[in-house]
Formats: sequence, structure tokens, C-alpha cells
Amino acid sequence: MTQALIDGILLGGVYAVIALGLSLVYGVVGIVNFAHGAFLMLGMYVSWFAWRHLGLDPLAGSVLSFGAVFVLGYLVQRALINRVLAAPPAAQIFLTVGLLIAMENGALLLFGSDFRSVSVPYQLQGYQIGGIFLSAPYLYAFISAIALGGVLELYLARSWTGRAIRAVAQDPMAATLAGVDIRRTYARAFGLGVALTAFGGGIILPYITVSPTIGGQYVVLMFTAVVLGGLGSVRGALVGGLAVGIIQSLSALLFSIQLENLCLFVIFITVLSLRPQGIVKGM
Amino acid sequence: MRPAITPAFVLFVLFVVAASLLPLGFDPRGHVLRVAAMALLFAATAQAWNIVGGLANRISLGHAGFFGIGAYSSTLLYLRLGVSPWIGLLAGAALAAIAAALLSLPTVRLQGHYFALATLAFAQVLQVIANSWPGLTGGPLGLSIPFAGSQPLKFSFRTVSSYYWIILALLVVSCAVFHLLATGAIGYRLRAVRENEQAAEAAGVDTARVKLIASVVSAALTAACGTVFAQFTYYFDPDSIFSLPGISVRMAMIVIVGGLGTLGGPIVGALFLIPLEEASNAVLSSKAAGLSQFAFATILMAAILIQPRGMMALWPKRWSAGAKLTVERTSR
Amino acid sequence: MIAPSPMLLQADSIAVRFGGLKAVDSVSFALRRGEIVGLIGPNGAGKTTIFNSLVGLQRLSGGRVVLEGETISGMKPHRIAARGMTKTFQNAALFPEMTVIENVTTAALLRHDLAHARRLAAAMLEKFELTPFAQADVADLTLPLKALVEMARALATGPKVLLLDEVMAALTHSEMDEVMGVIRTLRDEGLTFLVVEHHMRAIMALCDRLLVVNFGRLIAQGTPSEVANDPVVVEAYLGSGAVHAGASHARS
Repeated sequence: MTQALIDGILLGGVYAVIALGLSLVYGVVGIVNFAHGAFLMLGMYVSWFAWRHLGLDPLAGSVLSFGAVFVLGYLVQRALINRVLAAPPAAQIFLTVGLLIAMENGALLLFGSDFRSVSVPYQLQGYQIGGIFLSAPYLYAFISAIALGGVLELYLARSWTGRAIRAVAQDPMAATLAGVDIRRTYARAFGLGVALTAFGGGIILPYITVSPTIGGQYVVLMFTAVVLGGLGSVRGALVGGLAVGIIQSLSALLFSIQLENLCLFVIFITVLSLRPQGIVKGM
Repeated sequence: MRPAITPAFVLFVLFVVAASLLPLGFDPRGHVLRVAAMALLFAATAQAWNIVGGLANRISLGHAGFFGIGAYSSTLLYLRLGVSPWIGLLAGAALAAIAAALLSLPTVRLQGHYFALATLAFAQVLQVIANSWPGLTGGPLGLSIPFAGSQPLKFSFRTVSSYYWIILALLVVSCAVFHLLATGAIGYRLRAVRENEQAAEAAGVDTARVKLIASVVSAALTAACGTVFAQFTYYFDPDSIFSLPGISVRMAMIVIVGGLGTLGGPIVGALFLIPLEEASNAVLSSKAAGLSQFAFATILMAAILIQPRGMMALWPKRWSAGAKLTVERTSR
Repeated sequence: MIAPSPMLLQADSIAVRFGGLKAVDSVSFALRRGEIVGLIGPNGAGKTTIFNSLVGLQRLSGGRVVLEGETISGMKPHRIAARGMTKTFQNAALFPEMTVIENVTTAALLRHDLAHARRLAAAMLEKFELTPFAQADVADLTLPLKALVEMARALATGPKVLLLDEVMAALTHSEMDEVMGVIRTLRDEGLTFLVVEHHMRAIMALCDRLLVVNFGRLIAQGTPSEVANDPVVVEAYLGSGAVHAGASHARS
């Protein structure tokens, strides 16, 4: 039971950084990015190729993922999403859904449908502390995730862009009046958001195999973490991510996998229904 | 008093008559008829989605969930218990209706993105459950319906044209249901909820109940289409029947392209998109897996970027079937 | 009259709090059947919030609302409408893509089937001389017309108590007189009104009684002339810089 708890926490840290990305996009740009899972997948592929062709450990490769996906995300926001910010919700929904389908099939075209995994020296290793086994891949991923989360928190608090992002998240009007370039900030926030999630994908490569549709499996997880922890805050994402990790781990212990997913879904939809105000962006 | 004969109605009747004559002109085992049948089936499904997405304007990305419930219900009852798929169709519809009612509770206050998200999660969870329960659902391998020759009571036919006519009947039913909802008292209430929910409440509309009814009817109809789909295609698996792009988005796109909230929209949209998709599949899929879907997704995004207000902005109001035409004729 | 008519509507110490802000602070009042009561006060005094809490669009933080002896606080707006109380919206919140008659028909569906509802809607439009506009899209109407449609829509729900939120804001003087005439006729037919207005002329002429609120509290009540002479009321208006000096007019 405690083992499951620990595992849940380790997983949860990673979910936190993934959720943070989503939370950032939603909290700042104000749209639900249905394609977010696809960016996770992309991050995994970048890391994988870095491992395969450059010999980089996925943890280092994730940094590459971060960078590459940031650039892509920035472009996507500027070229696509910025254009529909004032359009009806249906347009926004189908744009990101279209992006999702395009990205998944694009990956299918480029990489094929085979499952790919990495093999790293520490893959099956771990640390035994008391009666608990801390799996090495889980642990290193967790540490990386927390580290990045910490860096991001500092960035949002100290840097000019970070503050601009927070300002826009709170009150776009006021931010504009204060001289913030909204469109550029949206692009940065989106880029940052998907980059964070991509990083999250890269670091879990040691224990998850990647395929073009892997993102879909994390959709409910990501969104549950975000609605649990509330929007836009690093701490919220951490809480949400950890909660989801623990819930998943514990329910795997108690239920079959089918019920585990149902359990997660029920939690997701309950939280969603109880906090509609927390999710509707006051524009 | 609801007038029965409007221009739209006449057009519809003509269409049905013309459509029912199609199989007589083509080789009943041919490809064209098959595509036409598929198009009409998706038109019926889209019409069901239209009730929630068009009349109530709540974009659901999870209707594949109901579609799959229909398919699995009838097929499992048939394969495991020998129950006729006709009964299975009713069972699936009932099950879907219950699911929709349950889903209504937490989603009643959700709008726009959040509603879409909740429905998406619904279909995804069903997909995962179906994939991970081989004992019940056959798991990722899916379910196959054995070919049984001509056994009408078991929903099994020898020729494509038989399925075609059943599908056409399904489309007529789907359209009739839509029409009844759109032009009845509930049509007014749904539109009111769509346009200004607060004012609707103040005007005495039980907004939660109205959304529930739309949801339940739509789900039952969608499930029925799922059953027919399973019988027609003889095979399905979790990833295809609960598919976001393949089912949920497809039915939504058909309605949006054809005209959201209109009676003819799903028909026009399906007759346009499905053959187009078949053609592009034929050309592109042979080149690479995923190319066809990629192309479609790109076209979808381009269409939205070119006209963010959507095809709806291009669709003349005059064509809106429903209360408007009827009112013009019966005021006083 | 020796024994008073039964109270139709009662507000018992109703309160609405938004976080730390007391938008409505322990307000109590009662309406008798057939009264036209005015609810006045400077901008931001909490009048619309009071209305919203009466019809169920705003949750109460305290107190309760009783309609015909039944506690209705906490009910959803459509159930309160079914029990006979509804309000008009300040910005005529109608259904923009529907026609005028469709708007009114929707409201009439509360108590009638579709065929009846359509007839009732047509009759309602006649009452407000809106028949020429029956097929017009609401979005295309001018503000004064929207206000009239809004009233017609509210009336179509068959209320016993009607809350009017600044219906006369966009009307000309003669239009105002017409609407006041309609209100009086409806009152004679048995309707009870609670009216928010800034036009002092209308308030003074129309209302049997006034309730004065400021900063969410009920600061005075009485007949129009009583209230006009109340120094507390004058202070509230002049002190907050309100534009309408109808109070001083009524005094002289």
C-alpha cells in the first residue's frame, strides 16, 4: 500500500509538470487545447530520436524536446490559434481537434505505427529504502519534473515575460494597457505550455513506450490534474498532478484496470461539474 | 396547428423517393451503393448529433460513446445470447439513453469547451474499458459478426441493397425525430436555452430538463445507428467504434459543413463529405497510412482559419427548417 | 378595509454576500396583492441584486423569500416563474436569433401547449401594439421596442407578481404614459408589481408605496410623498450625487 503511494507520488510529479503545461495554456490563452496530448507524444519522439541518434539519455533529450516543441508551439499559436481567439467556441474546439488529428497522423506518416522504447542502464534498477522500492526511472523523472517546475515558478515570478504571462492570465485588458504585447505573450505562454508537457513526455520514456497515439491515453489524466489543482498556478498543478498519480496508483491496487479508468473519469467529471466557475475564464 | 406541407418537406420527400430508387440502377453488390449506404448512415448519425450540437448548440465530442454502446450492445447480445439484433438495437438505445441521463447530471451547467471536454473524456473512457476487457468485449481484437446469409429476423441480408433500404428508413426516422423536436414546444425551449440560458430560466423554461431530453433522445438515436453500422460492416473494434476523429468528429463535421441546426444539413453534409473521404482514401491511403486523415485534418483547420464563424455564416437563414417556417404560416 | 389583504410576497431579512461585500444586507419587505411598489435608490444600491435573489437567479446568503405562503428561496428561476413571479431584465435579455413572436411564445409555453401559446403570444403582442414586428428578429429591434417585447415576454408567463427592472429607461414620455397605463390596467386585473425605475415622474405617479435602498440596506419606506420628504432619503440621493432630483420636485 505504501509502495503504491510512493509510486503514485513519483508518477504524480511527472503528471504535475504535464498538467502545468496544460494549465498554463488554459489559464493564459483561455482555450482548451485538445491537441495537448499530441505535444506530449512529440516530446517523446524528439527524446527518442535524440537517444537513438545522438546517444543522449532521455533526461537530457527532454531538454531538447522542450526547446523544439517550444518553437513549434510558439508558431502554432501565432499562425493558428491567435486567429480564432475571437471566434465562436465551436471554431476553437475544432481547430485544436483538427490539430490533434493532423499531428497524430503526421506522426504516423513520419514515424510509422511501431511502438518505440528506449533502453537505459538504470531501467530496471532502483533504490531500496526500508520496505519500499524506488524505481530509478520513476525517481529520476520525478526529480527532473520537480526541478523544471521549480525553474518555471522562478521564471514566472522574476522574469519580465513571466510576469507578463501572469498579468495576461489575470486581466488581459489591464495587461494591454500596461503595455504588454498580448499576442506575443499568448504565443510564449502556449509555447511554454506545450514545451513543459513535451518535457514531461521525454522524461517518462524510460518506462513508457511511444506511438503516435500515446497522447490520447494521457488526456483524461492531464485534464483531471488541471481541474483538481485549479488553473494557472504551479502549486495547483503540483497538487493536481500528485493527486492524480496517487489516485491512479491506489486504484490500480484496488480495482481492475477498467474500474481504475472509470474511477478517474468519475473524479474528473465530478470536479468539472462542481467548479464550473473555476474553469470559465473571465474574459 | 402544424402545417405539413412546406417547401422543405416536399424537397425531403423527393429526396427519399429518389434515394430509394438508387439500388435499382446499380449492381446491388457494387461499391457505389456501399458508399451511398455509408453516407446515409452517417447522415442519420449526424442528424442525431444535430439535436444536441445544432438545436441545443452544445458541441459534443463524445457521441462515439453512444455509437459504440449501440454497436456493442446489439452485437454482444447476438453473439453471446443469440438475441436478434433488432431487439439488440432497442437494448442499445435504452442503454445509451441511460448513459446520457447519467452523464447529464454533472454536465448540465457545462458549456462550450468544458462540455466538449467532458464528452470527450466519456468516449475515451469507454474506449479504454472496451480495450481492456477482453472477456466481455473481445478487447482490442474487436468483434466479428458472422455472415448468416438471408435471415431478416436476425438482421442479416444477402444484398447490399437490403441494408441500404434499412439505412434509408433509419435516416427518415432520424430526420422525423429531429423535426418533431425542432418544431415542437421543446424546439422553442431548446433554442431559448441555446441563445440565453438565464433569460430562458426566467421565462419559465426548465433548462436542465430540456437539455436532458435532447441528450437522451440524441444518444438513443446514435446508438441505433451504431447497431446498424455493426450489422452492415460485420466487424468493429474499440479504437474504431469509439474513435474521436473517425466517429465523433466526423458526425460533427458533417452537420457543421451541411448547416448546423438545420434538417437538411446532415444529409447535404454527409452526401458531400463521405464520398469525398472515400475518394481521397482510395487515392491517398495506398500511398501511406494516415495520409488521408492528415489531409482531412489540414483541410478542416484551413476551413476554420479562412472562415472562423464557420459554414453557418455562409448558410442562408431562409433554409432553416423548423419553427421559423412554421410560425410564418400560423401566426394568428 | 379593516383587515389587511394577505401578503402575496414577503422578503424576510434577505442578504446577499459576495466574498466580503454585502450587496444586500438584511432587507425585509412585503407586497400586498394588487400593489404597485417602487424600489428606488442610487446606482449600485443593490436593486438588481434584490430582484435577482427574488426570482432565483441569485443565491441568498441569508434570509428567505415567501410567495403566497410558500418559501421559494433556493428554487430555480423556472420553478419560481411557475409559481407566479418573474422579472424583466435591465438590458432586455431576449433570444436574439428568434423572432419577436417566438420570444413571447417561448415564455407562454410555461403554462400552455404550443397552439395556445402561439395564440397567447399574438394577443400579448397586440396589447403592446407590437403586432407589426411579430416576425422581426429581436436583434434588429431598437431599444424601446426591445423593452416592450421584454414586458410582453414576462407577462406571457402568467405571473402574479411582476418585477420590472427599468423598463422605461429607453422610452419617450408618451411611450412611458402608455406603459404606465398598461401597468395600471394589469393591476386592476389582479397583477402585483415591484418596479425599479430612475424616472421619478413615473415612480411618483405609478407607485402606491416606495422602498428605498442604499448600500444594500432598506433605508426608508412609505408613500411617495412620505419618502420624498424623508431627510434620510434626500441625503442618500444628493449625497451620492444621483442625477434625478425628483425628490426635491415632489417636495415643492
